[in-house]
Amino acid sequence: MNEPSPQFYFALPRLLAKMRGGDASRAERNAAEAWFGSLAIYTISYLYFAAFVPDTWSWWMRALFFIALAFLVMLFWLVMLYLNSLILKLLHRVNLVRSLPIRRGQSVLVAATATAMAVALAQRDSIVSELGAIWLIATALNLVAAVILAFSNGDPARP
Amino acid sequence: MNTETGVAHGATATEDRLGRFAVKGVFWRKYLDWAVVNLPFFFYPVPLTFFTFFFFFFAAPARRAIVANLAVVLPGSSRLMNYLRAFRILYNFAWTISEAAIRRILHEEFSYEIVGTEWLEEVGAAPGAIVLTAHMGSYDLGAALFAEKFHREIRIVRAPEPHPETAEHLQASLERSGESGVKVDYNTAGALLSFDLLKALREGEIVSIQGDRVEGDIAQVASRLFGAETKIPIGPFVLSLVAQAPIYPLFIARIGCRRYEIIVRQPIRVQATGDREADIGKGVAEWCVILEEIIARHWDQWFALVAIFAK
Repeated sequence: MNEPSPQFYFALPRLLAKMRGGDASRAERNAAEAWFGSLAIYTISYLYFAAFVPDTWSWWMRALFFIALAFLVMLFWLVMLYLNSLILKLLHRVNLVRSLPIRRGQSVLVAATATAMAVALAQRDSIVSELGAIWLIATALNLVAAVILAFSNGDPARP
Repeated sequence: MNTETGVAHGATATEDRLGRFAVKGVFWRKYLDWAVVNLPFFFYPVPLTFFTFFFFFFAAPARRAIVANLAVVLPGSSRLMNYLRAFRILYNFAWTISEAAIRRILHEEFSYEIVGTEWLEEVGAAPGAIVLTAHMGSYDLGAALFAEKFHREIRIVRAPEPHPETAEHLQASLERSGESGVKVDYNTAGALLSFDLLKALREGEIVSIQGDRVEGDIAQVASRLFGAETKIPIGPFVLSLVAQAPIYPLFIARIGCRRYEIIVRQPIRVQATGDREADIGKGVAEWCVILEEIIARHWDQWFALVAIFAK
């Protein structure tokens, strides 16, 4: 029996799938991809905020903060998503990007925020700079793949 | 009980105090709807894990009920393991209600596999049938898929919500979603709904009822599940006996990201032999065998968030 080719959400795996003769249409049913994206964003933002802990704090204070930070980062994103929704509402009201669904708009704003954090991480003098660089490279590759797919008619507009 | 809005007077003192922020309060329903519209696809896993942690600690009665149920379903397992399993069940619940909201609000496509195709086709063509299901997987989604696949109306009987605002929100969102094939009735202690359902069955409609737990004052019958004493709603079996409509056991299990398995079993026919109690008892026993088999296989998706078994 022929297995249907896997479908992806991000442009890079979709382009790779297309090059291998698979399905390049966007799909939101790949759990591994969702986990990868979710964990990557969460890790980048966690490391970004973790760097603000002063060196003068005692080890137990730092340990406590790092545990609390896991929840604070989540809170940060919830507030960020709310602010993004207000920005998108405002843009829609002034007739800008009206055809862009809110989730796709959020996707752009969330990725932009994480990328800004990754830029800051990449400039640090520690191992976390590698992670920041990996994020930046992955995002750049994804954007290039999106452009290639758009020009090769493989990324039709989606409501 | 207000049957029109589906409100039960069953909220606990803590729930009353927390009002719209209680576990079953309207705040969380509205927040979920907001999140479905706003969250990108790749953002879900981490927040859902966090919310599972949140509800694992704050929805203590549900957590305790799950652990108590698991002690019977999986005998010999340690209490600690059952707490971890309770977390897994709540995590699956978070995914399931999120995906049901995605379907309801965004009308996204879902894929499904059918186990027992012949029985499902039979339900689809049946002139009046009872679909007996459990608090498992996404029963709302299952009903919507059924209505869509067979172009038939299905009436779901569900437990009323403890908060008026939640009930109103649920009703409004169901109407807004345009699931025209799905009609919701609320389970009440009165006999009015029974007559409505009997009429619907006689007119050839499909009625879907959850038959794994009893909440409130609804009619019930004692039975055994996993060797332990439990109560099962008697309504579906009485309806089947009176209307002579078959009961199709049907379950929806989540098997992946936006992928579901629809499991349909051979129909239970409650035959009238003159001994009403024995006839119903036979049907209930058949149902319990099937329910036991399905729960044993999909215990991690059994969302009976109240203690089912007698202590």
